[in-house]
Amino acid sequence: MPATARPVRAKPFLVPEYCKGCGRCIDACPKHLIELDDHVNPESGLIPVHIHDEDCNACGLCITACPEPFGLHGADVLYDWEHAAMEHGELAVEARAERPWPTPQDIPAVRLPLPPTEPLMVKGTYASAIGALLAGCRHFFGYPITPSTEGAELMAKILPHLDGVFIQAVSEVATVNHMYGCGGAGLPCMTFTSSPGFSLMLEGISYMIGAEVPGVFVEISRGGPGLGNIGPEQADIKLCCRGLGHGNTHAVVLAPADPQEMLDLTMLAFELTFKYRSPVVVLGDGYLGQVTGKVQLPDHMIQPGLPHWAVYGDREHRRNLITSIYLQEADLEQWNVHLNAKYAAMTADEQRADLFRCDDAEVLFVAANTPARMVKGAIQALRAEGIKAGLFRPITLWPFPIDKLTPLLPQVQKLVVVEASPGQLEDELRLALSHAGVDHPPIAHVRRFGGVLPQAPEIMAAARGAVEVQ
Amino acid sequence: MTVFYERFERHAHAQGLKAHSTHYCPGCGHGLVQKYMAEAIEELGIQDRTVAVSPVGCAVFMYYYFDTGNTQAAHGRAPAVAVGHKVANPDSIVISYQGDGDLASIGMAEIMHAAQMGLPITVIFVNNANYAMTGGQMAPTTLMDQKTATSPDGRKPFMGQPMKVAELMTQLDGPVYVERVALYDSKQRNRAKKAIKRAIELQMQGIGFTMVEVLSECPVQLKLDPIQAQDWVKEKMVPVFPLGLKKEPAPGQAYPALPKPEFHADRLLGEVGANAERVAAHAQGFPAHLDPDDVSLKFAGAGGDGAQTAAMLVTRAGLNEGFDSTHIPSYGPESRGGTSYADVHVAKDEVLSPASPDPHILVAFNAPSLAKFGPSVRKGGVAIYDSTVVEAPPVLDPSVRVVGVPMSQIAISMGARVVKNVVALGALHAATDIFPRETFVAALEHMLHGKQDYMAMNVDAFDRGAAAVRALHAES
Repeated sequence: MPATARPVRAKPFLVPEYCKGCGRCIDACPKHLIELDDHVNPESGLIPVHIHDEDCNACGLCITACPEPFGLHGADVLYDWEHAAMEHGELAVEARAERPWPTPQDIPAVRLPLPPTEPLMVKGTYASAIGALLAGCRHFFGYPITPSTEGAELMAKILPHLDGVFIQAVSEVATVNHMYGCGGAGLPCMTFTSSPGFSLMLEGISYMIGAEVPGVFVEISRGGPGLGNIGPEQADIKLCCRGLGHGNTHAVVLAPADPQEMLDLTMLAFELTFKYRSPVVVLGDGYLGQVTGKVQLPDHMIQPGLPHWAVYGDREHRRNLITSIYLQEADLEQWNVHLNAKYAAMTADEQRADLFRCDDAEVLFVAANTPARMVKGAIQALRAEGIKAGLFRPITLWPFPIDKLTPLLPQVQKLVVVEASPGQLEDELRLALSHAGVDHPPIAHVRRFGGVLPQAPEIMAAARGAVEVQ
Repeated sequence: MTVFYERFERHAHAQGLKAHSTHYCPGCGHGLVQKYMAEAIEELGIQDRTVAVSPVGCAVFMYYYFDTGNTQAAHGRAPAVAVGHKVANPDSIVISYQGDGDLASIGMAEIMHAAQMGLPITVIFVNNANYAMTGGQMAPTTLMDQKTATSPDGRKPFMGQPMKVAELMTQLDGPVYVERVALYDSKQRNRAKKAIKRAIELQMQGIGFTMVEVLSECPVQLKLDPIQAQDWVKEKMVPVFPLGLKKEPAPGQAYPALPKPEFHADRLLGEVGANAERVAAHAQGFPAHLDPDDVSLKFAGAGGDGAQTAAMLVTRAGLNEGFDSTHIPSYGPESRGGTSYADVHVAKDEVLSPASPDPHILVAFNAPSLAKFGPSVRKGGVAIYDSTVVEAPPVLDPSVRVVGVPMSQIAISMGARVVKNVVALGALHAATDIFPRETFVAALEHMLHGKQDYMAMNVDAFDRGAAAVRALHAES
């Protein structure tokens, strides 16, 4: 037993192996009964103290001065098994086996039915906030940043009425760490942010991925780099798909295209973040955050459970640990193998895409978020001209839904990537095609940025025109 | 029962002595502080509900030792993580443990705001005047002229001066208990032990945020033996960082109870304004005379003109009629008081692009808006403007029908300038027949839910706008 458990009104006792010889006890003993030993302890390689306890009056000051949990303690502490465990480690294992710690059980989430309701008319950020509430999120942490702020504002208004918690953090850095704590306690939590704020959260996201902490990040991306502007841009695709902080990181990245999907995919994000015990990003654009449209509520809401791994702060979960540090190289390599297996499972099971008029498409557009809506408009007009155009819309940007795309390719004569970014979606497409090792037709593109969205005339021109190949 | 694990399995897989020894150097203060923490947790009977937050720094491995809930935070972020844990489970006892680089440098924003938030959590702050784990660099708490790896000639004024955290905390309203203690002799150690216990006890009682700053020895980086290091703390540190109780809770002080969520469908639906009430449809069908599939509109004016509200009413009207419709606002960079315009689409099946770069219908509330967007109205479209404020409308494409209605004048004559935008909707209805009058009235009722007093005035404004357009038609 460590010394802390014991009364100090007994003479001190020391297993010399556990003494580092700091000498604090020597200084503490009013009767000067302690001195450094005259030899190095062969097990510790250090010189322990030696106690002349004949004249000791058991004042206990030396015990209070000892920094080691298994250092100086009262001589009344029964130490036999402990000493034995030092030399025969299996005894300690047996001692523990007699008092096994019960493995916590998952408390599953409950689906509560919702009555039918008429569609709401809400903007994208509101739809996402409502999706979070329906998914059981009652803890919100965030820092105001345009164009994501309205989502936070709605949470600030509603959460107190639902006995939830809204915290406006000191920064995005604090935000993600509030989430690390709340998610580590096993509860669903989220934030709304936009590009510069998301950059600040990346450190914490890396920790969350490394420590397997769930949390949902709704990123309403804006024009960049730097302060950029508050227009709609998709130039955070690279960040979300390839750059989630330091180390070996990936997260499912969902790309809604209208307010309904802002709700639906936010709900899905909460499901996936607990399924994989890893953060999930809902990546929208500034336009999507602001656009108001029709939103139908689902037929159920979620009452969250509590996962077995949570550091909730109760007896059942006492032995749990949230950490991302693995000091020994072999341990950290093994941990990365574990994370890689999770990424592989996400890649196998979570690819999602929406196919619009793809059945006979010879010109296949690839677009996500608001630009995909622009493309849909262009497709109607192109079809009227006799051009067989279709849209492949990735709903998961990571994992890229390559398995949904590959079967369409044999009939496609040209791929046209339409995006509000300088080619970041196209990079994801090309990487996915390359890894899949499939032949593909030439790839053309329409790229706008700086807050400008691709418009129908240029989209149609790209479909009609000569193929540009990079 | 003990708060330390029987074996430190997480310490290098408990190999050899590591099963029962800490990773701290001989004479380091961390071991003492953590021992007093463990004793307090045990004496207070809170082992099961304690969550210990390990920092980055020498105490990063605190979770090797404490048989409590454990979480390991990023550098400087432990108080933010602690807040997350506390709000997740208000019954938990959350102890954030931090060193001086962690708390007083990189984590300054987190600690100040967690403290000012005042949630009942406990921060144990270990001040040893240097960055020990990284090799003895200068810390925010390093003393003037103290030599470290990054202040080899001693700390000079341009390197900053020692950060007095306990005094800073004392100035804040959030913390209820702040004390600075030391470890250099038996008397100080007993005080440290008591302070740590009291800080945790005040959290248990729900009083508020508590912090104990501990002046601690780092013999290795000070290049002193442990006893010399004790003397150094006493002689060098204490004059700069005076010991003692800095702040105590006022009698009867308590932090408001933190909520615990419950989950009820009706409460949630009520909060988001969802219900099963269907607004009756009035239109005979889609306004295909404007476009077969998708009618686009733009409302433009200055902030306060009501362009956004008018746009929302048309969007609502479109949805009520069973069509798809969207609204997207755009404000000037200053957000309020500048330009304000809104794009609206009403589509038979699905709005594809929600932007209106070339609208069928423009409603302009001032001259700059009409000048800017008038030329973008597509051929055969309609431009409606407030003729009270636009004296000379620009010349637009001859196919565009330009309709001037004295919206402001009509609204002012009603004694309610704010209904100018509803006058505009009446004009929109009469000039385009996008929806029947009843559709607009129903949308107004929907948006003014529970405000029947305003309803009559708004319907009056709508009818006056419509009448003004009809009068124009009669003239021409």
